[in-house]
Amino acid sequence: MKPMEIPTFQPRLKVLNRDQTLAIHAAALEILDKTGFKMEHPDAREILVDAGCRILNNDWLRMPSYLVEEALRSAPTQITLYDQKGNKTMPLANGNFFYGTGSDATFTLDLETGDRRRAVKKDVGNFARLVDGLENIAFAMSMGNPEDVPIEYIYVYVFAEMVKNTNKPIVFIADSGKDIAKIYDIACQVAGSEDALQRKPFILNYSEAISPLRFPENVMERLMFCAEKKIPVCFPSGSNAGGGAPVTLAGAMALGIAENLVGLVVHQLVGKGSPFLFGPNVSTLDMKSSVVSYGCPEWSLTQAALADMRDEIYGLPIWAFAGASDAKVMDAQAGAEAMFSIITALLSRSNLIHDVGFLEYGSTSCLEMVTMANELISMSRFFADGIPVTDQTLAIDAIERVARGEPGSIFLTDDHTFENFMQSLFLPQLLDRSRYDSWKSAGAMDFYNRCNLEAKRILSEHQVVPKPDEVLKRINEILQNL
Amino acid sequence: MSDIKALNEAVIKGDIQTAVSLTQNAVDAGTKAQEVLDQGLIAAMDQVGDKFAKGEMFVPQMLRSAKAMQECLKLIKPQFQEGDLTSKGKVVIGTVKGDLHDIGKNLVAMMMEGAGFTITDLGVDISADTFVQKVQEVEPDILAMSALLSTTMPGMRETIETLQKAGIKDKVMVMIGGAPVTANFASEIKADAYAPDAGSAVIEAKKVLGIS
Repeated sequence: MKPMEIPTFQPRLKVLNRDQTLAIHAAALEILDKTGFKMEHPDAREILVDAGCRILNNDWLRMPSYLVEEALRSAPTQITLYDQKGNKTMPLANGNFFYGTGSDATFTLDLETGDRRRAVKKDVGNFARLVDGLENIAFAMSMGNPEDVPIEYIYVYVFAEMVKNTNKPIVFIADSGKDIAKIYDIACQVAGSEDALQRKPFILNYSEAISPLRFPENVMERLMFCAEKKIPVCFPSGSNAGGGAPVTLAGAMALGIAENLVGLVVHQLVGKGSPFLFGPNVSTLDMKSSVVSYGCPEWSLTQAALADMRDEIYGLPIWAFAGASDAKVMDAQAGAEAMFSIITALLSRSNLIHDVGFLEYGSTSCLEMVTMANELISMSRFFADGIPVTDQTLAIDAIERVARGEPGSIFLTDDHTFENFMQSLFLPQLLDRSRYDSWKSAGAMDFYNRCNLEAKRILSEHQVVPKPDEVLKRINEILQNL
Repeated sequence: MSDIKALNEAVIKGDIQTAVSLTQNAVDAGTKAQEVLDQGLIAAMDQVGDKFAKGEMFVPQMLRSAKAMQECLKLIKPQFQEGDLTSKGKVVIGTVKGDLHDIGKNLVAMMMEGAGFTITDLGVDISADTFVQKVQEVEPDILAMSALLSTTMPGMRETIETLQKAGIKDKVMVMIGGAPVTANFASEIKADAYAPDAGSAVIEAKKVLGIS
């Protein structure tokens, strides 16, 4: 008899119907054609006008829809990031999802004291090393704006620090065309050459316009630099509901998408076919504290909606966030908010998911939080894999063996259990299921404490494959000549 | 007097239309402008400030109340002699050079205005020289600077140094804020006050000027 072959349904989240996606897209096009946008980079303005944009006044331009259509046609539907050793680790396409940390936190929770303090360069290195040692964290971002490096070249220093402490792909930030060129130099040293970096990019630049509809010169400088050099880039403006954008989520999405499309059009005009990761950041401005929330359900909802728009309209891999919180310490709120965004980002198959490990609405980084998220991602991944239904998993034979077997037959001793339990069940590493007495005698530790110990263990035991001396020497030369 | 109480309530509710017509009534009935201002408008905004600080009011409601107050103020302004209209203080505010973000700065400006300060908003991307020039021109009690990007924070230091060179650092209280700014950074660059958000900006401003 032929074995049963039923494809396994993998749970997916859908939050918009087709008509809704088309209406939001149409609104974005209307914003660009009627309201226009403020393009402050003279070259970008000229390129856009040459391509068919019309001048409203001064640096305000209007964009006809056909430019958007053309850019969507030329942008690649798949972006592949490699690790720093040239292995293909992050094919951003279809239903693939990858989690990573975030950038630019002012503070960090000290691993030893638990106190909130200013981030220093060593923290950036520690986060990169932790990422390197965690199975479910696929890429690194700086997680800190260290106070002990020269602020003019802060992004070059944090990039060098990440390169020294991880071999995973890096999502990086730059300030202008000046520092991004230095970062690019470092990346070329790591990859071996400019050509090697273009063929197997391990970097992706994060850049953002200012909502509503403002495109500063330094931001466009970076975007055009990446387009020319074919460095993968994302361009999510902060069109947060009630802050940079209208308070209603549909309008905030339309605005954020419009801003993304301007970026995409300039990007494709400068570097046709260069990789562009699509998607705005649509969170909310908290109506009491006026912070941009990192734990709200709205951000998860809008990025799930964006995933639907990707599937219906854009066809480009998308940018997202998860595993962050507005809580000030890694408490129950932090766990609840982190899990909410992690599982929804996964269920909507967002492709590149950043900000894992943030507390305090992105102002504080937390090593324990990244460690916790690693486990929550495992749990979510297990859920999203669904339930394979085959002869082997239906296990009729095992049922018969145990039910009708010798007295004392139990599933735990059956071969079927031994052969299948590792694949069939989620086996937690840090989530505690021990019996009360053993939990108590092991120190009665809560989740935060267990994550603290695990983060410390990884930082002390995990060996990052070091870069060749020659490469390190050249990186240090670049830093010295800044 | 009951009209003043109703005005007070209208401002707290953010009912601009009612607040304006009650102010007009009070003016027509010959109520003293200072009384309308103190008991009707500023007292209402003090309550709004309290409620907001306690989390009983949301930002858009607070801003609507501030707008109601401003509209009422327009009606009674003509009754004051030049310079007679009491203000909690003059504030020059802007986002530092290289930084084009203005949501936080605007929020601070609006809340301070609602609390009774007179605001000169310079906008975004303001150089040290422009800040100093405006301080010389406006002679404010407070110079408030905002930065969202850590890379633009040195602009704050530069402005304070330029104030020192111009010999007017002691004539104005410098207050700074914005996402990457910390209390330590404020004391490091010799700013007089630091406020982590718009609500505390008002409180800090009153504190450094020694007013309630």
